[in-house]
Parts: sequence; structure tokens; C-alpha cells
Amino acid sequence: MARHLLQLEGLDAAALTALLDRAEAFLPIAQRTAPPSDALAGRLVANLFYEDSTRTRLSFETAAARLGARSLALQGAGSSSSKGESFLDTALNVEALGVDAIVVRSAIAGGAHLLARHVRCSVINAGDGRHEHPTQGLLDCLTVRRALGSIEGRTVAIVGDIANSRVARSAMHALTMLGATVRLVGPPTLLPRSLGSIVQHPERLSISHDLDAILGDLDVVMMLRVQLERAAGGGVSSDYRIQYGLTRDRANRLPPHCIVMHPGPVNRGVEVDDDVADDARRSQILGQVSNGVAIRMAVLQGCIGS
Amino acid sequence: MTSTLLRAGRVICPASGLDATADVLLADGRIAAISQRRGELTAAGAEVIDCDGLMVVPGLIDPHVHLREPGGEHKETIATGVAAAIAGGFTSVCCMPNTTPCLDSGPLVEFVRLRAREAGLARVFVAGAATVGRAGEQLAPMAAMKHAGAVAFTDDGDGIANAQVMVRVLQMTKAVGCPFMQHCQEPALTQGAAMNAGPLQAKLGLGAWPAIAEELMLERDVMLNRAVGARYHAQHLSCAGSAEIIRRARAAGQPVSGEASPHHLLLTDDACDDYNTMAKMNPPLRTAADVQALRQAVADGTIDVLATDHAPHSDAEKARDFAGAPFGIIGLEHALPLYREALVDSGAIAWPRLIALLTIQPARLLGLDAMGLGTLRVGAPGDVTVIDPEARWTVDPATGRSKSRNTPFAGRALRGRAVHVFVDGAAKSVPGSFRTS
Repeated sequence: MARHLLQLEGLDAAALTALLDRAEAFLPIAQRTAPPSDALAGRLVANLFYEDSTRTRLSFETAAARLGARSLALQGAGSSSSKGESFLDTALNVEALGVDAIVVRSAIAGGAHLLARHVRCSVINAGDGRHEHPTQGLLDCLTVRRALGSIEGRTVAIVGDIANSRVARSAMHALTMLGATVRLVGPPTLLPRSLGSIVQHPERLSISHDLDAILGDLDVVMMLRVQLERAAGGGVSSDYRIQYGLTRDRANRLPPHCIVMHPGPVNRGVEVDDDVADDARRSQILGQVSNGVAIRMAVLQGCIGS
Repeated sequence: MTSTLLRAGRVICPASGLDATADVLLADGRIAAISQRRGELTAAGAEVIDCDGLMVVPGLIDPHVHLREPGGEHKETIATGVAAAIAGGFTSVCCMPNTTPCLDSGPLVEFVRLRAREAGLARVFVAGAATVGRAGEQLAPMAAMKHAGAVAFTDDGDGIANAQVMVRVLQMTKAVGCPFMQHCQEPALTQGAAMNAGPLQAKLGLGAWPAIAEELMLERDVMLNRAVGARYHAQHLSCAGSAEIIRRARAAGQPVSGEASPHHLLLTDDACDDYNTMAKMNPPLRTAADVQALRQAVADGTIDVLATDHAPHSDAEKARDFAGAPFGIIGLEHALPLYREALVDSGAIAWPRLIALLTIQPARLLGLDAMGLGTLRVGAPGDVTVIDPEARWTVDPATGRSKSRNTPFAGRALRGRAVHVFVDGAAKSVPGSFRTS
């Protein structure tokens, strides 16, 4: 595996599958049915999070701990791209401490790329603005594979604020590369048509503004959070739930095997109704979190393991 | 006063229709004589330059540059900016008012003119701010600025969004007899915008800058100006739709023109991939279809002025993340061969037309033709550029005259270069310039 993980765009099916396989092998450790590893003993991982994060930061810390690595946490106050210089300066200073990897989240599209151009240690993108969130995309793939047995040939709807979603971008690159059909669904204000051609296999990607029309064909429905902090507010009207919320009624029209995913945190009652989010037969929302630990173990091992 | 005889070059003066092998005599700061009869012109003590195989043309004029002084001297100074101009073959430039403080008063215009005289290389004309502080609200003192030497008005860097203010600016620029130059960018459509709206922008997760943001303001201005009739000039056109708006307005007889820049004639938004801030422009690089449409608009006369939008920024500023990095690239030193590549080599226009777009056309726009600039007419100021059209060289930002090095053309193989530059009949050179390889 390469030294950095900046994006899923450009990774071929073999590389993605190798990561998923490696993560699956780590699952027993992540789920504590096997003892921790010391594969990364002595390694130091810096978590630079310039945006709020609960699960991703804790997930990386947990993954590092399960492999015997230590983590440093730096939660930055500033996040605007106008602070790009101090952003880079901070990373250079952190690198100078002698860390093996920087896990970085910021509001800056291309922020992880910027660091990777200037530091010698590994850079792992934990979300860069609206661009990508590659470990989330990988854990989404692992969740689909484990729940349904396969990714190829599956139909996945990604629903909501696609324009502002790095989760959607990473997922659509990886899922289509692995042979799934992805249907992007959302209001036209949050779903520009230009997104339809950004993946390597655009024939596996389609755009729809009508969720009800496609419910019956789905193997996976991945609901996104409406991201008010990324100025989606202006593109969202008060009837969002009526048009695009995964209500009980809509959930009832999904095929029985169809799973429900959400990257969290969930705006309950907006994009997903309470009882759908908590429906153990369909909801993979907590399973995604534990799969995420295994994915991040695999990524850390791949980037900084010997 | 020294005199110089430029012997046996291909002399091109589009204003007078001249395109022939001829000798040009510069004396007493002026074009003293032109003769197509070999050996007719002699001048005792004149320096003779053999121009066989070279082009002798009016000094090139760039109507759109950013010299950054005052306030941005870490990017460029007036002295380094005019050195870059001379190195690129430009004898006159018109600088934009978006300095700090901005050029919105007579004394600030005078300051720039004074600094330019101290530098003593290229002529510097000033485009004053159209509104106070370039805030788009209150009319700037345009008559006072014209008195101090301003030749045009613009809020360049920002468009004037308020339609009422726009009307007043058009009325006042017409009254003072100067062109208004608009930076066409509807702000409501470009909030957080960083690059051309399209698949690459969507993939990179950057803010979208749709072509309609340019077209909308341009179309509005053309409508507003119908009742005013001001001399209206649209800066740095980036898209096919804008060219079409200019085409229709001119066909309807409106006093409207537009300019194109080397990067918009050569590059597409693909250059922004991998978050390449050297390709971050305002307006942004667009699609291959837009590049073709702009070249076509130059070919059919819709676009009749070329401008570099020379925009120096420091290495550190361009090393920021894409959204945080400033817009723009340097242009003066590389423009001539880039125009050649985009317009002559592509077959859009021939050399004489290219020279017109770089001389008499910008001179007319800025009213400099009244001083005799942009021509080789006998008696006109001795501003002459001698071009070796076949000189081959490579863009090396590290050896440029500009204080900044921000260009996406680094490493590009170029053809054509200014080899001698005269202003007021005096040879101008800057250390290290005019080397060919």
C-alpha cells in the first residue's frame, strides 16, 4: 500500500479489495474476540482534527491502540481555508515531533493532499472539506460486503446532500469501482449533474431526484446527513423529510434484504426516522462504526506498518 | 540624442496597413523615418541593428496588469513589473487599481505615475477605481483621477453588482471620456467559488464558478449601457457565452469590446487537477469548447484586445490550499509566444492581426492613440518592439524579471520573443532579458 491514503478515487478494484480483506482479518481484534496486536508497537500517530468529529477520531485512536501504536490528538480551533498557511505550519511542526503518520481532517478540500506534498511522514485523510473521506468509504464497502456477501452487482442509493458530502464522493468511487450500481438521490439544489461523471465507470452511476421511484430496486440505502455547516441550508427547504427522508413508510417499501446505512451523526426525524434508524433488521449504523475500526487498522497497518 | 536604425526588418504597423521589409529610423525620441528603399535611410552616428528575419512593430501595449504597488510589494513593485513588461516586449501597460490602498483618488494615481517614471522602463498608465474603495457603492472621483493621468476606470477584482451604481458609473465614465472596464462576476453566483463548475470541480469538492456568473453581469451591462452609450470593455473573457454577448452587442452597434488572456486561450480547467493552485484564475479556466470559442471570437473580430491580466503572487501564497490560494498568474514575460501559439499557430489569425491586437487596438481602447502610441507613424513616440518570431525558449519562472513566479506554463516550450525594445526612442533592456536558447 502507498505511504498516504488521500482519496479512494484512482484506487483499482484489487487495491480496494486488498484493503477490505485486510480489514476483515482485523475484525476479530476490532470486535475484541481476539487479543490486540503489537504490529505497530512504537509507532506514533498524530490526529489533527480541525473539524468536529466524534466517531472518526475515536475510531482512529482505537485502531491505533489495537495495533499497539500511540496517538497524539490535536483538535484545532480554526478551520477556514484562509488559515491554510497555519494549517500547513502546524502539520510541519507535528511532523518535526517525530510522528509516523498524520491523520488529518479539515474543511479544506485538498487539505490532506497539501500536507502530503510537504511532509515526509504518512498522511491519512480523515475528511477534507467536500472532497473525500476515504476511510468512511472503505468502511461503507466493508459494511455492504459483510451484510450482503458481495458488492458487485448490488444497487446502492446514496440519498441527501450529495454536493456537500465527502462521504458520498468516497463511497461512489469505491462502490462503482467494485462493481456496484450507485444511484445518487437528492434535491437538484444539492445534486449537480456534473457529479454523474466523476467516477471511472460513469455507466454505474445515475442521478435521480425521486427517491420513491427507486425504493423497490435497492440493496442498500445510504442516508446522508444534511450538512448545515457546509452551507447546504440555502438548498434545503422545510419539506426535506417529505421528499427525501427515510420514513417508516418508505422503509416498508424497501426489499426485505435491503440494508440502511448512515455515516452519522444522524439528524433523527430529518433524514431518517427514529424507528428506521433503530430497526435492527435493516440498520447497519452501529455495525458501520465497528467496521470502521477494522478499516482504520488496515489503513494504518498499510501506511506505516513494516 | 542617440538615433537608431532598425535595418531590413519585417515592419508591421496595422494602424497604417504597413507590412513590408523596411528600415525604421528612431531619432530624437520619435519615429523619424520609415523607408522600404534599401539603403535610403542613413543617419550619422546612428546605431544600426540588423533586423533581417525579425519583426519591427509598434511597442506592445498590455491594458490589464497588476503591479501590486502600493501594498503588495512582496508580490511585485512597479519597478519589477515594468522590467517584466520590457522583457516581454511591452512598452506600455495599464495597471489595475486593486492595490492597498486602492487607486481611487488623484494623488494615488500620481503616486503610481511617479514610481513608473522613476523606474524609467515601460510607460505605466493607470486604470482608476470606479467606486470609492472599490466597494461598488459610491462614485470615485473619476474626473480628478483623469486629471492625474488615469486613462480608464474599473473595480477590477470585483464586478459592480448593484445595477444603480453601474448605471451611474457608466454615465460618469462617459462624461469624463474614459472607458469603463468591467470584471464580470455576479457575486451571488460565486460565493466560495474556486474553479469552473463541472465534473473536475465536483470531484475535487471545490466551490463551483459557473460561466453564467460572467455572462449574467455582461448581459446586464450591455442592457444597461444601451441607454447610456458609455465605452464599455469587458475584461478577461473566459467563456463562449460571453463572446456571443459581445458579438451581438457589437453587431447592434454598441461601443462594447472585450479582451482575452493567454491562459484562457490555451488552458482548460483540467489544469486545476491535483489542486494545482497555479491554475487558479479569476475568472476560472473553462472547457476546451470555451477555448475554441474565444479563439474564434478573436478570429472574427469580436474580441479585439489581448491582455495578460499579469497577476503576481508570492510562492507562499500560491502554496496554500486551492480554496485559500489567491487567483491569477504572471503573464507579461510569456505572453507574446503564448499568443502566437494560441492564435497564429492555430490558424485563427495571422501575425499582422496579432500585432494589431497588441498595439493599436489597446491604444484605441485607452485613448493612447491620440499620443501616437500603438503605431509606427512618422512623428509618433519611438516606442518599438523588435521580435524574433522563431526564437525558441522555455518558461523558467526562476529567471524571470517579475518578482513572482506563479505560472502554470513553467517548462513550456515557447516560440517567439521580443529581442529589442525601445521607449521614446531609447533602447530598454533589463539584466538577463532577451536571452534565447
